[in-house]
Parts: sequence; C-alpha cells; structure tokens
Amino acid sequence: MNDRRRVNGPPGGTRPPVYASLLETGTGAGDRSQRQRQPAELRKICMHDDNLSAPAYQTNLWHFRTSVLKTGLIPSASGSSYLEFEPSASLTAARANPKSLIPPSSALKLACTVHGPKPLPRSAAFSPNLVLTTHVKYAPFAARKRKGHVRDSSERDLGVHLETALRGAIIAERWPKSGLDITITILEAEDDRWWGDAPDSHDASWGMMNVLAGCISAASAAIADAHIDCLDLVAGGVAALVSNDSTNSSSSAPRLMLDADPAEHRSIVSACVVAYMPARDEITELWLKGDSSKASLAAGDQRTGHEALIDGAVDAARGAYTVLAEAVRESLQRAFDQS
Amino acid sequence: MSNQRQASSASQTPHLSPAELSYLYTSLSLPRAPIRPDGRSPTQFRPLSAESNILPGTNGSARIGFADGTQAIVGVKAEVERTNLATDTLASQSDVNDSEEHQGSAAVSGHGSWVQMSIEIPGFRDDDALPVFLSEMMRESLVGSVTEGSGKADAADAAEMAGGLKGRLVINKRWHWRLYIDVLLLSQPLSYPLPLLSLTTHLALLSTKLPKLKSQGEEDPFFDDDWAVAEYLYPRISSQKTKLPSQYVRPPVTLLVISVGENVIFDPNREEIAVADAVLAISLTRDSEAGSLKLLSIRTIDPPSRLTQPAVPNSENVNMLGAPAPTEDIAVLNPVTGEEEVPGVWRPRRGGIKRSVIANMVQTVLKKGGVGEDVLEGLEGVEVE
Amino acid sequence: MAITILPPVVEDLGLRRTDYDESMSDDDSDVEMGGVDISGASRPSKRPRLGDKKIGEGIVIPGEVITADTQYMRSWHLYEPFVHFNHCYCRWNIPKDKQIDVRYPLRARYQPEIGDLVVGRIVEVQGKRWKVDVAAPLLAQLPLSAINLPGGILRRRTSADELQIRTFFSEGDLVVAEVQSVHQDGSASLHTRSLKYGKLRNGVFLAVTGTGGNGASNSSTKGGIGSGSSGADTSNGGGGGVVRSRRQVWTIDAHNGGGQVDVILGVNGYIWISKHADGAEAASSTTESVSITRMEEMVSSSIYSSQNDEIPPQTRREIARLAQCIRVLVQGGQRVDEDTLMATYEASGQVDLEVGDDDYDEDGAHEGRGYLEGAKARRILELAMQLK
Repeated sequence: MNDRRRVNGPPGGTRPPVYASLLETGTGAGDRSQRQRQPAELRKICMHDDNLSAPAYQTNLWHFRTSVLKTGLIPSASGSSYLEFEPSASLTAARANPKSLIPPSSALKLACTVHGPKPLPRSAAFSPNLVLTTHVKYAPFAARKRKGHVRDSSERDLGVHLETALRGAIIAERWPKSGLDITITILEAEDDRWWGDAPDSHDASWGMMNVLAGCISAASAAIADAHIDCLDLVAGGVAALVSNDSTNSSSSAPRLMLDADPAEHRSIVSACVVAYMPARDEITELWLKGDSSKASLAAGDQRTGHEALIDGAVDAARGAYTVLAEAVRESLQRAFDQS
Repeated sequence: MSNQRQASSASQTPHLSPAELSYLYTSLSLPRAPIRPDGRSPTQFRPLSAESNILPGTNGSARIGFADGTQAIVGVKAEVERTNLATDTLASQSDVNDSEEHQGSAAVSGHGSWVQMSIEIPGFRDDDALPVFLSEMMRESLVGSVTEGSGKADAADAAEMAGGLKGRLVINKRWHWRLYIDVLLLSQPLSYPLPLLSLTTHLALLSTKLPKLKSQGEEDPFFDDDWAVAEYLYPRISSQKTKLPSQYVRPPVTLLVISVGENVIFDPNREEIAVADAVLAISLTRDSEAGSLKLLSIRTIDPPSRLTQPAVPNSENVNMLGAPAPTEDIAVLNPVTGEEEVPGVWRPRRGGIKRSVIANMVQTVLKKGGVGEDVLEGLEGVEVE
Repeated sequence: MAITILPPVVEDLGLRRTDYDESMSDDDSDVEMGGVDISGASRPSKRPRLGDKKIGEGIVIPGEVITADTQYMRSWHLYEPFVHFNHCYCRWNIPKDKQIDVRYPLRARYQPEIGDLVVGRIVEVQGKRWKVDVAAPLLAQLPLSAINLPGGILRRRTSADELQIRTFFSEGDLVVAEVQSVHQDGSASLHTRSLKYGKLRNGVFLAVTGTGGNGASNSSTKGGIGSGSSGADTSNGGGGGVVRSRRQVWTIDAHNGGGQVDVILGVNGYIWISKHADGAEAASSTTESVSITRMEEMVSSSIYSSQNDEIPPQTRREIARLAQCIRVLVQGGQRVDEDTLMATYEASGQVDLEVGDDDYDEDGAHEGRGYLEGAKARRILELAMQLK
C-alpha cells in the first residue's frame, strides 16, 4: 500500500552521499587505504603521559598516530582501562585533510570498567569461585551503522568470548561467594570492511575480531588495575589471511598478516583471535573462522594454514602484551606514588 | 538453576562433588586408553536416530534423537525478498560508471544476513548466552563455507554452488531468498547440545528444496508451483553419474571436542565436559576440490571445570587432624596443566590451552580417516527422503 | 566407525515401551518381574470396564468412575463419588472389606520412608543443616546434629561446628545416609550416624529413573523411582529402578583383575559404584590391638575426606562396566537389585566373549567395546534373565 498523498522518504536508511569522483583512483580520499606496515608489524601502541590534558592528548594522538592503553581512568570503578588502537595512516591523513564524508578506515577506542569483587546477591546460589559477568556494548555511534541500546546478538557473542578469555586467567577460588562485573563500552569500532567496497565484499564480521582482541587486552589491564589475582596478563591478538590483489584470486594465495585492519585489504579469507598468556604460553580463548587451507606460507614452512594463523595471532598477542605490561606497571607505579 | 543461568555457554553442568570430578578426570586422562563413564571409546559417538523431511510445511527439515531422549527438530523456511539496493550505494554508482570491478557484488555474492538462525532451548531465554552463542557459532560456519572454489569447479553442479550458501540464495540482482533456520530442542539438554543441533541442521539443509525458478534474468521472479521439480538447496549429483562424494557440496558440521590430559574425546556427555581441560567447537566441511576436509572455524568454549569446587587434600582437612597420619601426599606436576597437584584431589582447572593441544585436537578431527570423515560419511548415509 | 546413525524407529513415540515388550516377549519373566500391569497399560483393550461394580483390580485413569456404590470406603487419591483423580496409571482393587484400595501408580516419585538407605547430593548449605537432593519431590534435610563428628567425638554441636559446616559437606558432595524421620509434608530428615554412612568418593554416580527404561539414566535431577508402596509387594512398582530390598550395599569381586567394587543402591534411585573401601578392613584387621572406640576413630577419620585413593585402571574399567549394566537393566525395564545386577554383570562378560572374536582388530582392540547398547544390550539382558 503506497501512500500517495505525500512524498515519502526512501524506504531504507540513508547514508551520506558518495560522489562518483571519489571512486576514481588517484583522488586519494576515496581510495582503499593500503597497508603500509610489514606483514608482521603491529599497529603502534605506546603509553601516554598522565599529565597530558585531554585536547592535547588528542592532538598528540593523531599527530603521532599512536594508540593508548591506560588504566585507572574511571574513579568510581574498582578498576578501569581505556584502549585505543593506532588509526591507520590513511585515516589520519583523511582526518587532517578530509576529502570525503567517509573516512577510509576506522580506529578502535574502548573503555573497560571492572566492578568488584562484590558480594553476590542473596538470591544467588553459593559459588566457591568468583562469578564473572561480562558485558560488551557498542556505543550507538560506535560503528557506521547505528547500534541500538539493547545488546544485540553480536554483542552478546563478544561477551561470551571475553568471559571465556578472562576466566582462564583469573584465580577465581581466591574470591568465593563474590561477583565481578566487567563492562566494556566500545566508543569507536573497527570496520568490517572498507566502506567504499560493496557491503558484502567481505561479509563476515572481521572487525569484530579486532574489537574482541582489544576488549581482551583492555579487560586484562582493568582487572590488574582492580588488583584481582590472576595467573598472568591476557593479551588479545589477531592474525588474518588476506588476499589483496583484485586481479585474479587464483594466482595469489592469501598471505598471513598480523593485526590486519579489514579496511586495508580487499578480502580477508580467514582470521583468528587468541587470548594469550605469554608467561604460561597458553591460549585461553581461540576464535578462528574462515577457510585457512590455502595460505601461502614461506617456503619450507610445514605448518598448516590454521596453525600458522594461530601462531600469527599469538605473535600479535605477544606484541600487545608488551604494551599491556607497561600499562599495568604504570598503574602500579601511580598507586605507589599516591600512597 | 540460577547459577546455571548466569554461567554461560558450556558451564551448565550439575554440581559434581570433587571426588567425582577427580575420579572422572583421572579415568579420562589415562594415557592412550581413557575410560569413559559410559564405556565408549574416545572417538565414539552416542548412537543417533535421524530422519529428514518430516515437516511438510517447511522447505526442509530433520529430526535427530539421542538414545537418552534428547531430540532436536530443525525446520528450514525460505522466503523471497527484495535485495535492498539502497544499501548498495557504491555498487549502483559503479554501475553508472560501467566499471566492472564493483558491479553489484552484493547482488552476486549474497549476504550473510540472508541466513537467519534461531535456536530455542527449553529453560533458556532467547537472549541467554547459550542460544546466542550456539546460533552465532553455527551460522558463522554456514555462511562462511564460501569464498573459495568459484569458477574453478569443473562439475556443473558444483558451479551452481560457487558462492557457497550465500551465493545460492541469489535469485537475480534485485531478488534473493531469505533462509530461516529454526532449531528446536525438545527437552532441556542433558549435555552440551552443540553436536546434536549441528548434525540436525546439516540434515535439514540437505533436504531443503527451493521452488524452480521460471523467470529469467532480471525479471521479477516467479516460480514453478510443481514441488516435484523443485531444486535442492545443496544440489545433488544425479544418480546416473558416478557417485563421487567428494563433489558434493555439503553444509558444514560442527563437532564438540574436549581434551582431558593428553586424550582427545568426542561427543562428550555432561560429566565429561565438566572435567575437560579444554572444550573446542570445530566446524568442518568437505573441500570440494581437494576431496579432503577443511576447517571452517574453531571456537573455544569455556570449560566448566574452572568453576568447580576444589577438593581438600587429606593433609589439610581439619576433620582429619586427629586421624592417624596419612600417607605422605606428594604434590606432583601435572604435565598438561603445569600445576602442582596431589593425586586424587580435584583442583579446578586454571589457565588456558597449549598450542600443541589445540593442534592435536584439530588434527584428530581433520586427518584422513579421522573422526570428521566418519561423521560426514555417517551423515551421507542418512537417507534424505 | 566413530558414529552410528540409525534410521528412525517407526514406533518412536513408544520407543521404550517397544523395547520393553521385545525383551519381555523374549522370555517369560514378565510375571515374576511384575510387568503385567505395564503391558496391560499399553494395551487398552485389556482395560476393565469400570462403570459396573465388578470387584477386582485394573487400571484407572484420572476422572474415571470406579464405582458409584456408596458402601465403599474412600481411600487416598480418590475424590468423592469415587472418581479417581491423582495419577495417570494406577491399580485399584476392591477387597472384601469394602474399601477401595488404590495402589501406587507406576510412575512414582520417591517417597521417603523411615529406614531407607539413600544416596543424596548436597544442594544447599544452611546455618545448621544441609539440604539434600534425594530425588524426592522435596529436598531432604540433614541436620548438623545428625552427623558423626570426626573422630567419633560425642558432644553437642557448637557454633564452631556451624561455622565450619562446609568442611563436613559442601555443595555438590554426595552422601549416603539413612532416612531418620519423615515430616508431615513428606520431606525426609536424614542422618549419617553410622560408619556405613558419610561422604562418597572413589567412584561414579548414577541416577536411574523408575519408570521402566525411560532411558534418561543420566539425568541427575529428575526422576523418581518405581519403588512400590511397600517392600513386601514385589509386583508393585512395575518397571525398572531400585526397590527396597534386603541388601542395598554389597561388594563385588570384579572380573578382569578389577579387585573389589562396592555398590550402593540408594532406595531413591541414586546409585554409587566405587572401589571397595579397604579402610574399614584395615581398621578391623587391627581390632585386636585397638580398642573399639579407637577403631571408630580411625575409620571415621576418612568420612569427610574428598581425596580419592589411587584406583587402578582395571578397577575403573569394571566400575564403568557395572554402571553400563545398570543402564542396560533400566533401559530394559528391569528392576535393579543385587540379583539382577549380578546376573547382568556376569552376562556382559559372556557376551563380550561371544562377540570378542568377531570384531577384534589389532589397532582398536578395545574400540568402544565397553559401550553396551542396542543389540548387545538386548543380548545381555536376555542372558541375564536366564542366569537369574
């Protein structure tokens, strides 16, 4: 039934217009940003001085294209952390000199709060261990597509993954009959693809995996900040098999990239997130998806695709761990200084 | 009940006493010959009874029952839907530009969100972690079983399946099928229901038929109303040709694998999951080109053994202080978990999984003649209609 | 082959009943097994016409009028003009003293009675008592005052005991206990004031349902058992499950070098199979030198232990086999008691020998051999009934 009396808006959602000129190569802003890092190179993560004021810190951030992991930012929580991944080079350029309404890629910013350990409600059954609850929530404005205020299935899914990742690290029997709430708010989420691509060029939610890796590292820092006993810090890492060439997919087998930004690659064939405890060399959470059987590895590499992928993700997690350890150390230092 | 609810995923286990857990763990971790509480071998599945095409109101359906009485029913329904070109700004732009590169790639390759999956488990709310996690896990491998093989497949039948399930749902650039997969578990699960649901979904998808398209090209689609000529969603190789199972394109199967000690155990029941060091859900399908199996996804599932109650060794038991001195308990190092343990005393698992353990589990599933092949063969043996 | 996928059974709705009928028609044990009423239930043609005043017995369903004759005395489960309202299947008879006597229905929940030996799982710890799941409609309670203190000390329970109540039993622990009293509402109060009772370890737990092969032998929370209203009436209770009998606890000399294995059949359908506790033996062997009180002390010290002894694989294997045998019995709709279990255990050994030669391949010598189901289970059951 059409309403003929008035002019209706378009049936679907609307989106900022994209002009044809942007699609032509060479204009810069409309181009897919290319990965400028080495395959095994992670996005830069570094620490920031505490005394930087917020605006300065932001300009700093964009200027140096670094990213942040800080703890203890939310005073009401028993532990908290804030994590930011370095936006890709092209994003920084695009933000400094916007040519298009659509930035070529996105960054990741998330805040994690830890409340607890606190007593379980009276109605809850006895638990000899610390009861962990995780909430992951995208801010409505986090992704290009607005998210509702009610958690949707992908957010719940992330919550389960995060819980699995953390539970292996926490020494839960130290805190019987108590609960620990971990809440992560994602302020800016990684994209699943370059927005200039058709919506389904790589359809699976690859960005979610980067988000999860960030969640894991941030939550681990926040838990340490809340002084909850854990076996080891858990760091999240992502590796992906990507094929960049648009020419012929058959000629080039997908290559292994650590910490892949989905916006920088034409298609991601397979990706893997791990939550990794470096001191014990153990994985608490593994999420691998996609067809990893056709990876092109270095000559003489006997590993199968998925093994290489897992190893890659572990390497990425090791990289994240260095920052994580630094952040935790810094938060401890602060605590000592204050006392 | 309430603690079952708050704990997520695999941890819906009964409270077992530490002595039971310890007994189970040591039985299951006996090197090379684990003793399962029901006498099965490590790779043996509980017998199933299966049938498909049981619901006339659906495009495809199946039912699988375990001997313990848990049953799952899956109904697949397909609806025609307009492909929303409005979401496809750039693609339509590029049509104007006549650039071949971007041409309607969504309309050609399909969209993962066209497959909707809902799982209903009695005793769980729709938005509880378990059903959400399960449906995401299964949907992910279903729509993910795509990408490769386009154009390279020789058989015409296989070419039809080029874009995987997503591609198959495309009718033309403006229309597509939307697939609803509704999974219903008839009773509260006695064990982690993943394998049951996955196998049932597999069978239901195999039996799913779509009406034969009569329109051509970019017309508004209309279909042959003769159900007899309807085409299978997953095309079969007609019986005249030589039967080559490797050319079948099959929906993926998700298996639940646990590791206890050095052993890898399949189709665990609830008690076995309760003591597992690691629980993995591994999705696999047949690689239509290589004829072997390929991995589609791995997910760790939170092992409930982390939430269990620890046992108190006799040496620390306050109720045994007056007792005659117990034989000296020497804590030994468990080689798998790397923790010091007194034999016979249950400790909740801590930490994660070693990479070698994961590799071993995946290897057991994927290797030639391994469990994955057995399961797929078994499923192929089920008479679909 | 790792997986067995069977075609659907046509009589799927009555799967367990079908099994039951098959096993029953194979041998003539149905009379002594008290299976008459079940087969009667599955054949509606046998149902007596209840409208008339014929005296006898049969099965009534809720809402059915047993008699309109007001001379009869009413009994439990009956509604005023003798309309039966409580249970789905139920035997009734009208003896000469003009009382309608409604027997317990086939599917009964466990109703605790004083003196029952039960196996239960602690589900809740309260200030002075534990709440124990004994498969009855209500949780049973185990007061702190009804346990033995370690070392057999006799004294009043103090608040210090209350504070460390979890060191005795904690959530999830399994206990074997005796029903001390039954309250008005049908809930039981337990005690463990004997050396036989206490915390269970060194074995496996098994819960059977009472309705003759419901199959859900693993369900740990549901399921009453088909014990009759009184132990004397052997035909009562119909299907499988544990019934009250002379011996609920005994020791088996296991095959294949399994050593000695204890079986505890809780009247409530919860079963514990464990390695024989030689602690008691060791203590009794030293009785000569130790005084009686001292012995009690020694034995009871291990009552609250949750540490397992070292159990050799052979014993574990036999314990698993015994658990299988119980499942076979339950799925076959047979009663579980000492006789049937021992017969089934013997039979399972024989059947193993029979099939052992056929599928013996060198790499998978024990490939799933321990798993008793399908045809193998039927064969075992058949043999067991002959042995009995």
